[in-house]
Amino acid sequence: MGLFHNPTVEQRRTRWAWTFLALPIVFYVVVRFWPTADAFVLSFEKWNLLKPREFVGWKNYVELWNDPVFWKVFRNTFAYLLIGTPISLVLSFFVAWHLDKVRFMHGTIRALYFLPFMTSAVAMAWVWRWFYQPVPIGLFNNLLSSFGFSQIKFLASTTNALPSVLAPAIWAGLGFQIIIFMAGLRAIPGSYYEAARIDGVSGLTVLWEITLPLLKPTIVFIVVFSSIGFLRIFDQVFNMTTNDPGGPLNATKPLVLLIYQTAFASYDMGYAAAQTVVLFLILLAVSLLQLYIMRDRV
Amino acid sequence: MADLALHGLTKTFGKTKVLHGIDLAVQDGEFVVFVGPSGCGKSTTLRIIAGLEDATAGTVEIGGRVVNNLEPKDRDIAMVFQNYALYPHMTVRKNIGFGLRTSRLSRAEKAARIAEVAGVLGMTDLLDRRPSQLSGGQRQRVAIGRAMVRDPKVFLFDEPLSNLDAQLRTQMRLEIKKLHKQVGTTIIFVTHDQVEAMTLADRIVIMKDGVIQQVGTPSEVFNAPANVFVARFIGAPAMNLLPGSWREGGVALDMGGQIALPGRQLADGTRVDLGIRPTDLAISADGAGQITGAITLVEPLGAESMLYIDAGGVEIIAACPGRTAPDPGQQIRLSADPEALHLFDATTGEALR
Repeated sequence: MGLFHNPTVEQRRTRWAWTFLALPIVFYVVVRFWPTADAFVLSFEKWNLLKPREFVGWKNYVELWNDPVFWKVFRNTFAYLLIGTPISLVLSFFVAWHLDKVRFMHGTIRALYFLPFMTSAVAMAWVWRWFYQPVPIGLFNNLLSSFGFSQIKFLASTTNALPSVLAPAIWAGLGFQIIIFMAGLRAIPGSYYEAARIDGVSGLTVLWEITLPLLKPTIVFIVVFSSIGFLRIFDQVFNMTTNDPGGPLNATKPLVLLIYQTAFASYDMGYAAAQTVVLFLILLAVSLLQLYIMRDRV
Repeated sequence: MADLALHGLTKTFGKTKVLHGIDLAVQDGEFVVFVGPSGCGKSTTLRIIAGLEDATAGTVEIGGRVVNNLEPKDRDIAMVFQNYALYPHMTVRKNIGFGLRTSRLSRAEKAARIAEVAGVLGMTDLLDRRPSQLSGGQRQRVAIGRAMVRDPKVFLFDEPLSNLDAQLRTQMRLEIKKLHKQVGTTIIFVTHDQVEAMTLADRIVIMKDGVIQQVGTPSEVFNAPANVFVARFIGAPAMNLLPGSWREGGVALDMGGQIALPGRQLADGTRVDLGIRPTDLAISADGAGQITGAITLVEPLGAESMLYIDAGGVEIIAACPGRTAPDPGQQIRLSADPEALHLFDATTGEALR
């Protein structure tokens, strides 16, 4: 029973499986895993793309630790995560929960919510950037002033800029989360709700004790997915603060944008790699933490 | 006490009318089984009684009180669902206790009630398990427990046994019957399985296309079916129907042969269907039988065998003792007990008595 002469069905199947898997594996190793590994190596080196790479030990990490901009960016990134994830989670659940009950134009309404998810983030960022401009250009400020309110500096203020950039990012992700939530809601058997009706419990009890616990796998998925999205936010920030990316005064700059600037504006590849490693570790930690918290499967 | 009455119940979904005026009176403590093929409206009727659906017209009365406009929780009913509707994230205790969420009992009283129900169902040891850790039969019992804990006036069962395998189904059937004897509460039970209906019911309600075909005790519907549908639906294998015309105090069968039905009067030439249950046909050794045919297939069931007989183009099923079953291909003569013959009007399908 050799593997090549007269193989068993099992062996033959395995052989075919590996044949088909070979291409993606090669692709992933060359395009994903190897560069990832190299980034870890690079984070201990100094390299400006032209001179040879030079080992510098922990220097990049020490520099990062002592860099006030890095800490500012670090805080920003977590602000995106900690504001964005819960808001988008609650909003998308709220919409999905109600949309699930709507029969009238259900498909159209759902498509409308999904539309932003399919739209290019860059185009959307620029439209929102226009919304935020002062009078007479910006939509929001025009509305405010026509009702007699004073204008708001959306993107020009260090306190308002981050939420203003976050808003379209939340909006853009909403459609996807709504679809996932609706799928989760649909998967709950109707008899659970009917049994609850016969037991006569309140709508709030049904929501808290039946719907939400049964949606837990869906919620875990959406939380992990949107967390990763917010931790990697870039397009919206870069395009909406295009005159001074991440500005004003680094108020909106997320980690990915910092990495981008370190690498492709300052050409400090080793330092950028160190930042990337930090981002990777944050993503890993956040994901593992969430999976751990929500591990108790239904 | 809790007698249940339905008066002229109709239900329309969009343009489809699924219930055409259901009238039924159920006595307190009675075990009534609704049976019929899929789409006959039996589940819809149950859901209207439960208050999960609104009736288009007609009234539902429970304990002498019209409950049409009451919420399910205020109707004093409990329901067991086909898929049990057990919450997978709650323990058995919580699942059973969920029915008491809105009751005004104290915590201790609720706990005592749950313990009592668990005791009756023999699942005291399982109270801290989750539904996923239970077998099908145990889950079924939890679902019943959840209904029992509410101490309702009427139990509603919506095909509760159809998710169980055959052996377990027989066992649970027995348990439900025992439970009814023990608790004595009125039960409305929906099933598509006529065996379940026969074994469980005090009275059977046979439905088809939103119309009640017959209401009666198991022996009534078996021995005196009101029409062809009931005759063929109750009893397995189904009753044989032999087309023919009335002539001279008997039926002249289209496939040939005359069967006398003493004591009945019909106009000569009336088109009728003669109904004979497979178990009421006997092979006549002396060649005296009225029906002749060739055996095409023999289905051995152990104790008895089913003979599929081609009698002049009509397929007839006859039961015979398993040990003495004839072989396929053989020509046989069959005789039927005149007492066990059923006569139906060929055009309306109604029984002729």
